[in-house]
Amino acid sequence: MPENSRENESLLLVDDNPTNLQVLYQTLETTGCKLLVAKNGETALSIAQKASPDLILLDIMMPGIDGFEVCRRLKADPATANIPVIFLSALTDTKDKVQGLQLGAVDYVSKPFQPDEVIARVDTHLTIHRLKREVEEKKDALEDELEVVSVVQRRLLPKGLPEIAGLKLAVHYETSLYAGGDYYDLVQMTDDQWGFLVADAEGHSAPAAVMMAMTCALFRSYPQPPTEPGELLYFLNEHLCKVADPSFVTALYVVYDASRRTLKIARAGHPPPMIYQSAEKKAIEYACSGVFPLGIDPYEQVPVTEAELHAGDRILMYTDGITERFNTNGETYGEERLLRQLEAGGDLQPQELLTEIMKDVNNFANGRPADDDQALLLGIVQ
Amino acid sequence: MEISQKVENGIVFLAFNGRLDGSSATEAEQAVKSILEGENNRLLFDFAKLEYLSSAGLRVVLGAAKEIKRRDGKFVLCALNAYVKEVFEVSGFGAIIPITDSVEAGIKEVS
Repeated sequence: MPENSRENESLLLVDDNPTNLQVLYQTLETTGCKLLVAKNGETALSIAQKASPDLILLDIMMPGIDGFEVCRRLKADPATANIPVIFLSALTDTKDKVQGLQLGAVDYVSKPFQPDEVIARVDTHLTIHRLKREVEEKKDALEDELEVVSVVQRRLLPKGLPEIAGLKLAVHYETSLYAGGDYYDLVQMTDDQWGFLVADAEGHSAPAAVMMAMTCALFRSYPQPPTEPGELLYFLNEHLCKVADPSFVTALYVVYDASRRTLKIARAGHPPPMIYQSAEKKAIEYACSGVFPLGIDPYEQVPVTEAELHAGDRILMYTDGITERFNTNGETYGEERLLRQLEAGGDLQPQELLTEIMKDVNNFANGRPADDDQALLLGIVQ
Repeated sequence: MEISQKVENGIVFLAFNGRLDGSSATEAEQAVKSILEGENNRLLFDFAKLEYLSSAGLRVVLGAAKEIKRRDGKFVLCALNAYVKEVFEVSGFGAIIPITDSVEAGIKEVS
């Protein structure tokens, strides 16, 4: 019996029979725990609330509130619900034992008891209770830390969306856990020239958030205005290769010229943009050759694809958390559904269309929570 | 996810059955790590029964590819279904890891 570790733990012993209570007291004195006693159910409940013992040994047959009712009330009160209860009773029917355990007791010892057995069971349940509490405390601490990571990460994202002549923008960003690996950013290079970046660090939670933050820092420290998409991805890759192993980041970078409505697109392992062509009334995945994701190996050259937009066209950049969103049947949302949504935009404003898309994605998922981060950046040409 | 393994004529075979995603990636990484504990530097992934592969799965493949590269060896992915093949094409991984249609062709690739 490791007595030294039990000094700060307390046991509440409940029995209406003074002799039984005394025998129990003497038996458990050797555990080193602080011992509290109650001679009836009402006193037991009152002490449990005030002293929050680490374990309660509870007799069943008592005048007034019996042990079953005491246990029921302890479990119904959030303040005492987590205190483990061991029934100690002369009732030896299986039915009584089952009832006791169904009420939330952790164990059941028949009277007359063997002192060694009671001590051993008390010790086991105190240990389980302590470990459970420690795990919960660690979990809470980790969640708090992730929450901080999440707050810092949100600060890295653009504060709002810029006004661009002839192009209305909207964005949707959500992480599956507290923090995530998805990232989007926008930069103005000249009056008419804009850069749009959507990236996805592999994985989620804290490790992905670190890679996301690295990508953000590199993008914003690019030594000149990133007007050449191939050169930008080459630069990001060169630096991410030094830190990413064995992780990686996919990225799609688009330079938009608002005066000419032209696009220059470079892609590293990321899904290509979807473009709705209003003249054709059709949305397509815009074919553009690319390179493997950032952070794996140096590139020889990053190909750039050019495109032209017209009034009413829509361009959608997204992360695969959307198209790989699962429903309860294990099917993925897929590119086709997203293309149909992009086509069905009608006269909707960009933010309204994104709301519709996310509604469709969530309806499809049918209650299954997202297991990846989801980001969408939509532009509609005026 | 089930992973079966064998070593034949100096080639390490790993056959994947099921889904390689966030929930099975760690198990797969361990399997790759343990089978590569020796001196082996020729590795073949048989994807004939791989239904689905997520970005976490890509990381497992990438980790294996990097380890084999460090050993100056050969690595090949075989018999990908249409979905998995598309994942490799869109992600650009096809450019850094050889892919063959059949296991037989894969054996030739790493021999």
